Amino acid sequence: MPRENISLAAILWAVIAFLVIYPLSVLIIESLRIAGTNEWGFSNYLAFFRDTYYLKTFWNTMVLSTLVLLTTTIFGIPLAYILARYRHRGKTVFTALILLPIVLPAFAGVFAFIIFFGKYGTLNLLLMQFGLTKVPINFIYGIHGLVFIQSLHLLPFIVLSLSAGFTNIDPSFEEAAEVEGASGFRRFITVTLPLCTPSYLAGAVIVFLWPFTDWLTPLILGKVDYLPSVAYINIAYHFTDMNRKHMGIVAVVVSSIVCILLFVLARRWVERKKYTGLSKGTTSEGRVIEPGPIIRYGSYLYMIIVSFVVLLIPIVLGLSAFSRRWVFEPFPTYWTLDNFKLILLESPLLIKNSFLFSGIALIFGVVFGLLAAYVIVRTRIRGNQTLDFIITLMLAFPGMAVGVSYMLAFWNGIPLATHWIIMPIALFARRLPYFLRMAHSSYLQLDISLEEASEVSGVGKFRTFLYISLPLLLKGVLVGVVMFFIMAFQEISTAIFLYKGGWETLPIGIYLNWHRGMEFGIAAAMAFLMIVITFILLLIISRIGGGILKAAWGPGEK
Amino acid sequence: MAFIEIRNLVKRYGKVVAVNNIDLNVEKGEMLTLLGPSGCGKTTTLRCIAGLEKPQAGEIIIDGRSLLAEGFVQPSERGIGMVFQNYAVWPHMKVLKNVAYGLKLQKIPKHKIRERALQVLDMVGLGGLEERYPAQLSGGQQQRVALARALVRNPKVLLLDEPLSNLDAKLREKMRFEIKSLVRRMGMTSVYVTHDQAEAMVISDRIVVMDSGNVVQTGTAQDIYQMPANRFVADFIGTMNFMSGEIISVEAETNSAYVKTEFNDKLLCKTTDGTNLKQGDQVFASIRPEDVEISPDRPETSGNLVAGTIAHKAYLGNFLFFFVTVKGITIRVQVPHYVPLEEGADIYLSLNPEKCMVLV
Repeated sequence: MPRENISLAAILWAVIAFLVIYPLSVLIIESLRIAGTNEWGFSNYLAFFRDTYYLKTFWNTMVLSTLVLLTTTIFGIPLAYILARYRHRGKTVFTALILLPIVLPAFAGVFAFIIFFGKYGTLNLLLMQFGLTKVPINFIYGIHGLVFIQSLHLLPFIVLSLSAGFTNIDPSFEEAAEVEGASGFRRFITVTLPLCTPSYLAGAVIVFLWPFTDWLTPLILGKVDYLPSVAYINIAYHFTDMNRKHMGIVAVVVSSIVCILLFVLARRWVERKKYTGLSKGTTSEGRVIEPGPIIRYGSYLYMIIVSFVVLLIPIVLGLSAFSRRWVFEPFPTYWTLDNFKLILLESPLLIKNSFLFSGIALIFGVVFGLLAAYVIVRTRIRGNQTLDFIITLMLAFPGMAVGVSYMLAFWNGIPLATHWIIMPIALFARRLPYFLRMAHSSYLQLDISLEEASEVSGVGKFRTFLYISLPLLLKGVLVGVVMFFIMAFQEISTAIFLYKGGWETLPIGIYLNWHRGMEFGIAAAMAFLMIVITFILLLIISRIGGGILKAAWGPGEK
Repeated sequence: MAFIEIRNLVKRYGKVVAVNNIDLNVEKGEMLTLLGPSGCGKTTTLRCIAGLEKPQAGEIIIDGRSLLAEGFVQPSERGIGMVFQNYAVWPHMKVLKNVAYGLKLQKIPKHKIRERALQVLDMVGLGGLEERYPAQLSGGQQQRVALARALVRNPKVLLLDEPLSNLDAKLREKMRFEIKSLVRRMGMTSVYVTHDQAEAMVISDRIVVMDSGNVVQTGTAQDIYQMPANRFVADFIGTMNFMSGEIISVEAETNSAYVKTEFNDKLLCKTTDGTNLKQGDQVFASIRPEDVEISPDRPETSGNLVAGTIAHKAYLGNFLFFFVTVKGITIRVQVPHYVPLEEGADIYLSLNPEKCMVLV
C-alpha cells in the first residue's frame, strides 16, 4: 500500500470527521440532554413519542409522504413511458421542461403558486371575472396544496428513474411476452413494470423522504403540523423555551433517522434486485415505438399540461418581479424595474454573498471530490467503501439537520460559527455528494490502463493524474462543477440556521422579503434572478454534457 | 400448399434493405434453417414471421392463415413459440411462472396449467428446478427454460433465433442434438436462425443460405456442401480452393467445362446445371481441400494434374493441412495425419474432374 495513498485517505477522513461526524455527534448528544440540566437520558425521546401533538406531526408527515409518492407515481409512469418509448418531435424541449423543477429552488414553486393559485390569486380572480365561481376556490391551502406543490417539485425524480428503467430493459423481454400472447397493457403490467421496480425504487425513496426534510413549504402554506416545520419553529422561534428547543432537536434527529434508514434499506434492496439481462446485440436506445394518432396527440397534450404548470413558476415570478403592488388583479398593471434596481444596485450584498459562499464551497467540493473519487475508485485502502457510503448518505440527510448540528457544534465547542467562513463550509458539507458522484462515475469509466501506460512511460502518479486522468475526466468534472454550484446556490435549509446580519444569501433574502408582505416583488425579483442564473448554468451543462446530465442524475445509477 | 409460405417479403430500415423480396416455403413438421453471415437478413426474416417486425411488402401465410395481406396480425395473436438469442427469461419470475405465462392467458384450469408446465420442464430436463429464479440457473439451464416456455402451448410454429450462440462450445454441440430430437419428437414445424454452418448442418432438414437480404440457395446440407450455387455459398460453408480462370469450352452433354487457369491451360471441371456459361467467361475453378489427391511421384492418371511444392504444413490432430504452391498460387490440401510428407517437398496434385467445379 503506497504511503501517499494512506495519508491522502487520512486527510479525507479528517475532513469527514470534522465536518460530518463531529457535528452530528453533538446533535445526537444534545438531543439526549435533559432540558436545562447537565443530565442525560432518553427522556426527550420518551416525551416526544408520548406527546400526542408530536405523534400527530409524525403521522401527518408519513401520510404526506405517501400521498406525494402516490401522486408522483401516477403522473410519472405515463410521462416516463412517453419520454422513454415514443418517438416524437420536441422530445428534448419537453424533457428539459419536465425535469426543470430538479434545479429550481423548492421555495420558488411555493411563492409562484401562492401568487397564481392563491385565494385572490390570478386563477381565482379570472374565474370570478368570468363568473365561473362566486367565492374563491381553495386550490392550495391544505394538504392537497402541499401534495400538489411537493409533487411537482419531485416529479422529475420519478420520471428520471422510471424512464431510465424503461430504456434499459432488454427489448427481448417484452418481445417474448408478446410472442407468448400478452399484448399491450397486460405485457406492461406483467413484464415491463416489474422489471422497472429497482430503478423506480431509487427515485421513489428520494420522493418519499422529501416531506421529512421540507420545512418551508408547509410553513409558507400555514400548515405547520409536520415534523420538519415543527422542528424549525421550535428551534428557530422558541430557542428560549428549553423544552421546545429540545423537542425540535429530537424532531430533527427523528426525521434524519427516518431518512437515513429508508435510504439505506432502499439501496440494499435495489442492489439485490438488480436485473441484468444478457444484453447482446440490443440497441442502447431501448425499444422505441411509433404511437398511433390518438396516443400521440394524447401524449402531446399531457406533456404540454405538465410543462405549462412547470413554466408557471418562472412566468409568475417574472411578472411579479417586473411589477409593483400586484394584488387583486389577475395580471400586474404597474410595470417597473425598481425591484431589480434595489437588489442589483442598492443592496448587491446578497448576490455577492451567494456567489462568494457557493464559489468557495465549490472549490472545497472539487478538491475534496477529486481526491475522494481517486481514493474510492483507484485504491484499495481499507474503509474506502465506508467513506463512499458516508458521503452518499449526505444525499438523504435533511439540510436542517446539518444546519442545527453546525449551530450546536461550532458555536460553543469550536467557535467557527462566528466567522463567515462557516457559510461556505456548511454549503460544502451539505452538497458533498453532488460533485463526488459525478467525478466518481466518470472515474469508473476511465480505463485504468490509460493511466498505467503513463506510469510505465516513467511519469509519476501526480503528474499522470494531471496530464492523463484529469483531461479525460474533464467533461464529467465540468458537469459536476456546474451541478454542485447550482445546488449550493439555492441552499436554504442549512444556511438559515447559520447566517448572521451581513451574511444573507439570495435564498435567505427571498425568504425574509416574503415575510415583509407587500415586498414580495423584491423576493420575486431575487427568485427570478436565481432562476435565470440557474438556467444559464444549465445551458452550459447541456452544451458540455448533453446526455450526461440525465445519465448522471438518474438516481437509479450508481 | 406449404405450412409456412412467405411471398415477396420486403423489409427496409430507412434506405437499408434488410430483406429483399424473398420467397420461402416450410413444410409441415420440417426444420428449416436460415443460414448466413451477420447482416444477411436471416434474423429480420424470422422476426417478420413472429410479427416483431412490420414488413413493407409481401405476405406470410401460416397453416392457411394470412398474417399480412389481410391486415397485420399482432405477435400475440399468431400462436407461435419463440426462443430468443439472449433467452429473454424474465428475471422477476420463477421458472414455473416463466413457463406457465402463456398458458395463463388462455382459459385453462389452474391445476392443468401447472401439470402441463411441469411436464414440459421435465421434457427439457429441468424437472425439480421449477421453484428457482433464473438468476440461480446456469446459462444452459436458462436456455432450456426458454425452450420449455416456447413449447408449452404446443405452438404451430417454433422459431429459434441463434439460441445456442451464448453457450460454450461443448454445451452447444450437446444442445444441438437435444433440440433436434425434441422438436422432431413433437413433430413441430420450426425455423432456426444461425450463422454457424456446422450447427445448421446438424440440426436442419433443409438449409436456406442468405446473403445481403437475398436467398442464395436452398437445399439439404449435402446439396449445399457438394453443389454450392456460387462462390459465396462455397466459401461460407466449408473450405474451398478458388482458382480464377476463363472458360475455354463448355461440354454441355457431360455437364462440364474446360477452364484455363494461371497454372493449367485445360482444367476439366463439372458445371452446375442451369448455369449459362459460355466461352470467355471469368470463373473460379473450385475444389475442396479434402478432394485434392496428393502424391510424391507422378501418378498414372492424366487429367487435371499439376506439380507444386509444399510451402507450409499444419498439424490439426486428426488430419494434416498442406499449403501447396503451384506457380505462385496456394492450394490447400487436407490429408490424413499419417501422410509422410514435409515442408519443401516437391509433389503432384491431382484435381479430380468429378470433384472440381466451376463457380461464379
